[in-house]
Amino acid sequence: MTPPAIETSAELRARIDAAMRARTRLATRPLGETAAALAAAATAWRANAELISALPAVARLDPTMVAATLPLVAEALDADAMAALVESELGTGAITRPAPTEVALVAHVLASNVPALALPAIALACLAGAAVVVKSGRDDPLSAPAFQHALAAVDPDLAATVVTAYWPGGASELEEVLLGRADVAVLTGSEPALAALAGRVGGRVLTHGPRASVAAVGRDGLEKAERVAHAVALDVALYEQRGCLSPRAVYVESGGRLAPRDFAERLAAALAGITERLPPVSTAVEERAATRVLREGSEWTPGTTVLSGPGGTVVYDEDPSFRPTLPARSVRVHPIASLAALPALLPAGHIECLGLAARDPCDLVPALRERGVSRLCPVGRMQRPPLAWPRGQHAPLAALLGHSGALRCTVET
Amino acid sequence: MTDALPLEAELTAAIDAVAVGGASLDFETWALRIFAHQFERNEPYRTACERRGVTPAVVARWEDVPPVPTAAFRHHELTCGPPEVVFRTSGTTAGPAARGAHLVPHLDLYRASALAAFREFVLPDGARPSCLFLVPAPVLRPDSSLVRMCAWVGEVLGGDHEWLVGEGGLEIERTLQQLGECAERGETVLLAGPTAAFVDLFDACRTRGHALRLGPGSRVMDTGGAKGLRRPLSRAGFFRECWTHLGVAGYSCVNEYGMTELCSQRYDSALVDRFRGRNLAPRRLLAPPWLRTRVLDPDTLEPVPPGATGLLCHHDLANAGSVSVVLTEDLGRTVGDDGIEVVGRVAGAMPRGCGLLLAEGAPG
Repeated sequence: MTPPAIETSAELRARIDAAMRARTRLATRPLGETAAALAAAATAWRANAELISALPAVARLDPTMVAATLPLVAEALDADAMAALVESELGTGAITRPAPTEVALVAHVLASNVPALALPAIALACLAGAAVVVKSGRDDPLSAPAFQHALAAVDPDLAATVVTAYWPGGASELEEVLLGRADVAVLTGSEPALAALAGRVGGRVLTHGPRASVAAVGRDGLEKAERVAHAVALDVALYEQRGCLSPRAVYVESGGRLAPRDFAERLAAALAGITERLPPVSTAVEERAATRVLREGSEWTPGTTVLSGPGGTVVYDEDPSFRPTLPARSVRVHPIASLAALPALLPAGHIECLGLAARDPCDLVPALRERGVSRLCPVGRMQRPPLAWPRGQHAPLAALLGHSGALRCTVET
Repeated sequence: MTDALPLEAELTAAIDAVAVGGASLDFETWALRIFAHQFERNEPYRTACERRGVTPAVVARWEDVPPVPTAAFRHHELTCGPPEVVFRTSGTTAGPAARGAHLVPHLDLYRASALAAFREFVLPDGARPSCLFLVPAPVLRPDSSLVRMCAWVGEVLGGDHEWLVGEGGLEIERTLQQLGECAERGETVLLAGPTAAFVDLFDACRTRGHALRLGPGSRVMDTGGAKGLRRPLSRAGFFRECWTHLGVAGYSCVNEYGMTELCSQRYDSALVDRFRGRNLAPRRLLAPPWLRTRVLDPDTLEPVPPGATGLLCHHDLANAGSVSVVLTEDLGRTVGDDGIEVVGRVAGAMPRGCGLLLAEGAPG
């Protein structure tokens, strides 16, 4: 499987021009047809045997992990969910009307810490009525062209509005063309990468820098400790903890059926159990070193206990301050007197999602929104974001279209 | 004056003897003696060793002495006796409580180690340069091990010396003036400090259009690498700017690798290789005979194959008064049979190091 080669700025310019012309041909098409085509393409994409075979090597994931996560990506492109998103953001009846016209070209520069970021990127741009260029990251140049291929099979006109490309970062001529022409550039990656790109964008720019997530278990959640521990372990293990939705810390309310430290042990056991289904991939020396440093340092830190095994590393840490672990299935478990105290412990602007095992999270929402959290969901679903996820607290279609709105923090049940 | 601990005083004399070329040093014998000494006197270390079932009775090789991670220095007083001085790691993001503390009960040992290695690797030609230090004076930073080392270098190995970082940071105008005067007189200069301070100096030279030509034999010693840099600068870029702005060639630029938790340092091989006619040898970080470094597999803590990347674990005999074996958060690899290269720092590791000296306010 070979990603499409775009080697010259002239070639990229020509392909963008073609996508823009294709967009004009869809001017009268109802958005419902677009949503249906995207959903059908996602279904075909997740069954692409060539992609399933080739992706593990480039994405540095075990084949079992790829097999487990592609369906999670595809399910977000559900036709009904897309219709609901469109109606919610663009108004009642919008799904039966043509797409908005105010944004002609969206450029996505994707990170590749987790694979298949291209799918929601393409889908949202299509629903916003824009032609879209997706520049894939180094570790997944395959998902985007595979999706475009699937889309072409069900809706060649819509597929013609999509340009997928990969080139190594720093190819400045290509980046000039891409960033200079886009009405909106959506940039995902490390802070230095974002800083290097953002200043060259001609239109509006939306950035998604590094963020982390946390999980929390209330006293009532501890009533089903085994199930909750398994759900949290799954959230930790999926994508090898490389994404911004991966929990790096778990806050457990004291005073429940199970002590927080005992929950940490259940979590360590659950992580070990998951390795049978999702064996950890052999990680780079940097990640293994980070795990070693975490373990060794924690053993010398008062109030901490290291519970490590083949499934990963759980550090029970009485100090509740948020200190994110690094990837490789490692997580800190902190006791907390009350979940009400959690928002104040989270660093403002750094936490994307809170996975929750507690009966009623609504009281927490205002304070979490203030801390920059965009999403609350049940544990076990942290890695299954809907397309409507207001990443960075912005409604996804409104952000592309430049519509201002209140910062969002959604609650999934 | 504090009473010298016999073993530490004996080791100080042994290092002094090595430094003048009069003796060799049996690393393993010393390592095992020092482990027994630390096991007996350093309670937190003994507790950790016992938890792992390691005692002096079962350790037969220097490689088997248990390491402590640098994080341990943030939480425990790892010392074999009352400290003469407490050195603290730099770092700004996590606050003072997160700083590591190296309690040094026998300062003469640090002094002997630091001066001997500096003389060997930075002044192998026996030069006595004028020293311009891009760090605060000891009165401003009494808890900085780098500042202490510079003070000894200035007093013992240098001609005269100046401190060019004040409470407000690097004093650019005074630095440029001092450098200009030294250049005019054709003096041999040692300019030493964190890499970050050099970047500030280079930027000031560029802004003002200064292109100094320091006198023959002048040299640069920088430390800290990328930590605290205002802009990215590759090693090749550093050499280029040393030449452009100071007139100091790359082979006279010596990078120091040191840690607050260690009483010994490694140094870039460039100058000593050139002095000894080994111009074609690869650049690498060399150590004095009382410091050994192993490159370890993070999973097993066993040595990786030569040249492969792993965690750096230092065994510093000059740390006899605290803990000799320190597992770092640095990634590196061996180079040749006598050197290492530092290739990075574990992602997410706490920012620290003398590169941040400039970013911190000096205590009042």
